[in-house]
Amino acid sequence: MDKNIKVLVVDDFATMRKVVRNLLKQIGYENIVEAEDGAMALKTLKSQKIDFIVADWNMPNMSGIELLKAVRADGKLAGTPFLMVTAEALQENVIEAVKAGVNGYIVKPFTAEVLNEKIEAIVAKL
Amino acid sequence: MAYENILAIINDMTSNFLFLENGHIDIPTAGKFLNQLEQIVTASASAKMDPLPNIAGAVNTLLEKMIMEIVDRKEGFSAFEEGLTLMQKIGDSYQSTGSYTGDVNDFLSRVSTLTGISLSRPGSAAPSSEPLAADLKVTETSPAATDDAVRTKDQEKKKDFIVEDEGLLKDFIVEGLEYMCEIEVSVLNLEQNPEDKEYINAVFRPFHSVKGVAGFLNLKDISELAHALENLLDRARNNDLKVVSGLIDIILDGADVLKTMIGSLQEVLDGNRDIPFIPDLSDLKERIEHVDEIVEDVPEIKKIGEILIDNGVISEDNLKESLEQSQRAPHKKKLGETLITEGKATPRQVAQALRKQANQVADTSTIRVDVKKLDDLVDMIGELVICQSMIRQNPAVQESDDMKLIRDVAQLSTITSELQRTSTSLRMIPIKQTFQRMSRLVRDLAKNAGKAVAVILEGEETEIDRNMVEEIYNPLVHMVRNAVDHGIESTEERSKTGKPDQGTIQLKAYHKGGNIVIEIVDDGRGLKKHKIIEKAIERGLIESAEAVTEQELYRLIFHPGFSTAEKVTDVSGRGVGMDVVKQAVEKLRGKVDIQSREGQGTTFITYFPLTMAIVDGMIVRIGREKYIIPATAVRQLLRPPRESYNNVIGRGEMINVMGNLLPLVRLNKIFNIKADHDEPWDALTVVVEAGHKAKCFIVDEVIGKEEVVIKTLGDGLKNTKGISGGAILGNGNVGLIIDPEGVFELSER
Repeated sequence: MDKNIKVLVVDDFATMRKVVRNLLKQIGYENIVEAEDGAMALKTLKSQKIDFIVADWNMPNMSGIELLKAVRADGKLAGTPFLMVTAEALQENVIEAVKAGVNGYIVKPFTAEVLNEKIEAIVAKL
Repeated sequence: MAYENILAIINDMTSNFLFLENGHIDIPTAGKFLNQLEQIVTASASAKMDPLPNIAGAVNTLLEKMIMEIVDRKEGFSAFEEGLTLMQKIGDSYQSTGSYTGDVNDFLSRVSTLTGISLSRPGSAAPSSEPLAADLKVTETSPAATDDAVRTKDQEKKKDFIVEDEGLLKDFIVEGLEYMCEIEVSVLNLEQNPEDKEYINAVFRPFHSVKGVAGFLNLKDISELAHALENLLDRARNNDLKVVSGLIDIILDGADVLKTMIGSLQEVLDGNRDIPFIPDLSDLKERIEHVDEIVEDVPEIKKIGEILIDNGVISEDNLKESLEQSQRAPHKKKLGETLITEGKATPRQVAQALRKQANQVADTSTIRVDVKKLDDLVDMIGELVICQSMIRQNPAVQESDDMKLIRDVAQLSTITSELQRTSTSLRMIPIKQTFQRMSRLVRDLAKNAGKAVAVILEGEETEIDRNMVEEIYNPLVHMVRNAVDHGIESTEERSKTGKPDQGTIQLKAYHKGGNIVIEIVDDGRGLKKHKIIEKAIERGLIESAEAVTEQELYRLIFHPGFSTAEKVTDVSGRGVGMDVVKQAVEKLRGKVDIQSREGQGTTFITYFPLTMAIVDGMIVRIGREKYIIPATAVRQLLRPPRESYNNVIGRGEMINVMGNLLPLVRLNKIFNIKADHDEPWDALTVVVEAGHKAKCFIVDEVIGKEEVVIKTLGDGLKNTKGISGGAILGNGNVGLIIDPEGVFELSER
């Protein structure tokens, strides 16, 4: 498993970004960039090559689902693996994300092991 | 044709299904399937391929439950396969025979059993749009939530955990507290626009974020409370709960409690506490639980029968009878009619009741309009005013001797200015809410400081532009904090000086000359003049106490870093407060005055324009440039004789205006432009007043007075000193709006 892939962590809550960053580091991913909302994430995605997106659902400006739709609609970015972080597994949310082409979803709070499983399952399918 | 397309989708699904590994539908594939199933449902329904829509709908439901991991993976997978085969069979049958007669109930009941959702049988309508149990939650997969043993262990670890992850916890405290403070501001917006989803979201999000991180940090109580509050807002977002004042109270109180809880974590980190403080949540929890019982504050319109009962005209039994009669009557008679024909009420009584009802309707005959639309409307009317004024000033119109045209243009002007007045008044709201928040703030602050303070509100109905409400909030908060913290003395100190134990803070609002005036009056210790003088001399702001007036002296406390407070508390007294207040007020084209008497109290008087959209201005010309001076600042116009000009050594150029020597300001030097005239006696002089000072501006020409719509200069030039904005003038030219205080400051450099 390639742990050198560049992971983009998107969340408006700085502490939450740090949490995800710490968990990612625990499972061996060191190459991490952050964005504070969907709009910023999209900018980052357009300026550098990102291999994996971990985004929160609920954010101001551009929410996770809007980001997902924007990524899938962009010819160059469309294939980027996308893991959605949600607080509860609300069925309508999850289904909306799945229909929009998400690669996986994870429910807060999660452990490093669960995160690792999710990422590996997604990357294995690519 | 349609059959073929649908079959093609089904075949595509089937072949993708065959390639799936180890009996598992991965999420991206599931997403594709869901979209395809949706297509099939719609297309087959319009092609009348009964029962295909039902089957595809059922497969869709099944797949959704599989994604949510509610259905056993193996069972689900095989049922899904059965569904696909069945869909193919139906499609094939329609293509060859145009119908399908086979039985599908076995499959539908299999899916029903698996998913727990009853599915409609063929023949009944709208199968796919069956409402899903939307709030159905998946049991959490995280180990922390699985069994009690783990949880207790986690709790035991709590203390170590905090220390272990100190950095993260620190971040959480800072950011969490910030978020909780944000809620107060967002709630104001929400209260005014209870149905605006964006505002609900703005309050929802902070709770949501705090909950998320608290979950990771194992702060169970915080996470649970934030979750409960978030749920309320989520329900409001889904129109399941109405945003009424009772709900807002719960949210504010909840945010307060969370603030306390998060704040106590800091104490733990500082070593002042062993375990985080957990306040008594039973009351709040109960209120959250009973949220549905909150009654809406809008009174309902009473029915005519109820009014008649209230008035004692008829009894409830009478009403019931007559209602039934009215329903049974061949043409559905009105209740009033029935009552009259039956002799239960006189026509007069019914008429009175009807009138009463009509009044009720009138009381509630308001509509909610999106603020954006309103702002757009006001903007467009602003443009209309400019356009109207351009027509009026067009030489072709001005030189015309067509009386009808001139009359019509005059009529147009009257109507547009009336329209402008009306449109501005649309955005006006009473200041009540801001005041109520202030009094809440006073109560909280007083409690923290251990003081007794009463709040008196006056003029809450005074109206102000909705867009100003938020802007004036921060400076007002600062002044109120200052009053509680420094103004009002402690109870002991008060009783020593013979004052009542309880201090008073009065908030007054009223309109005065196109401004809204807000006074914050406290009966505290007042400003200590000698202390201000001492400090000001020490800092080199003044040379001696005699050189300044009392007003000027008090205004010194607005200097950056100027604080006479002896004790620094956590809310004010660091000397950062008052200059921020001044800046904030001036940014809004307002001003602050201070009145104070030592030992008796201080009054802050703030003046704000009613709206930020329009300014009544005097248009002046300097060289080729046009400037707008706010009319409220213009005191007089004159052409000074040569003798009234003085060049006083050390005080600069002065003009003698009716016995007063006023400093001369050369705008052409400040703005670096070429003027027609250099000497005041050749040009015109405008006496401009701002912040208790008056100065003379030299201008080449005064063009006239006009109401102009203020446009900002854009982000880059927003903070240009001396200029507060730009405006399109009646003749289409652009003029810059002068900010007198800013120009004064520039001229003193």
